[in-house]
Amino acid sequence: MDYLGFLFAANAFVWGGIIYYVFTLKQRNRALEKDLELLKETLSREG
Amino acid sequence: MMSSDAVEENEEESSILVWMTGLAFLAAIIAIFIYVPTERTEGVVQRIMYFHIPSAWLSFFAFFVVFICSILFLWKKEREWDIYAHASAEIGVIFCSLVLITGPIWARPIWGAWWVWDARLTSTLILWIIYVAYLMLRAQSEAGSMRARYAAVLGIVGFLDIPLIHFSVLWWRAFHPQPKVISSEGIGKGMEIGMLATLGISLCAFTLLYFLLMGVRVRQEKLKDEIDRLKRETLYSS
Repeated sequence: MDYLGFLFAANAFVWGGIIYYVFTLKQRNRALEKDLELLKETLSREG
Repeated sequence: MMSSDAVEENEEESSILVWMTGLAFLAAIIAIFIYVPTERTEGVVQRIMYFHIPSAWLSFFAFFVVFICSILFLWKKEREWDIYAHASAEIGVIFCSLVLITGPIWARPIWGAWWVWDARLTSTLILWIIYVAYLMLRAQSEAGSMRARYAAVLGIVGFLDIPLIHFSVLWWRAFHPQPKVISSEGIGKGMEIGMLATLGISLCAFTLLYFLLMGVRVRQEKLKDEIDRLKRETLYSS
């Protein structure tokens, strides 16, 4: 039996899933950093 | 807020973990695609097992952490435990989804069907639905102790499905193969040594990945809390 296509598909989903999740974590990090920067600016403006 | 020393120490720890996880995955890929022999009856498609079982292990472990942290949250009422439970549930759902995707891909050439309403498959799908509901509950309701309490109860109840998943193939007639790693013959007795070693490496890599992702998610939640607190303070002071 040779089902290389199935093995490839399963691998693609696993790696795709992990990479997608890591990417969303990076995006969330960037959003939080942006939020923090804005907050710091507001605080420094208000003294 | 965390001191700069603590932040530096945290960053150093996570960079070590990144390297360890990367190396473990490299070793797992080499073992899966080069070292391990091809299984005689199922052929090359059986190699899906080395991703499928570790994904299942990781999701069950993540939901176990949700279970423990939810109990601790209900008992101690400390936000810290709620953060851990939330982060772990999210990771658990991701990997449970991968189990539900790789399982049918493996089943199609072996069973001739993508999906059967077998006890193990159905109970795993129920587990996934419970924890998706857990995340939806957290996303849809307002932040506060009530939301955390409802989520904790759901996190505890959801975990009770996991023993059912494990024993389902022993209690009922099922399509899904019986456990080979932890079987009645003993741990790892139902597998060839090369396969067992490869599975062990893959399990190690996925476990390290769990701790890496947990670290990032927990730090994010804590930072979000800190930002919300500062925003509230700014609002009240102005």
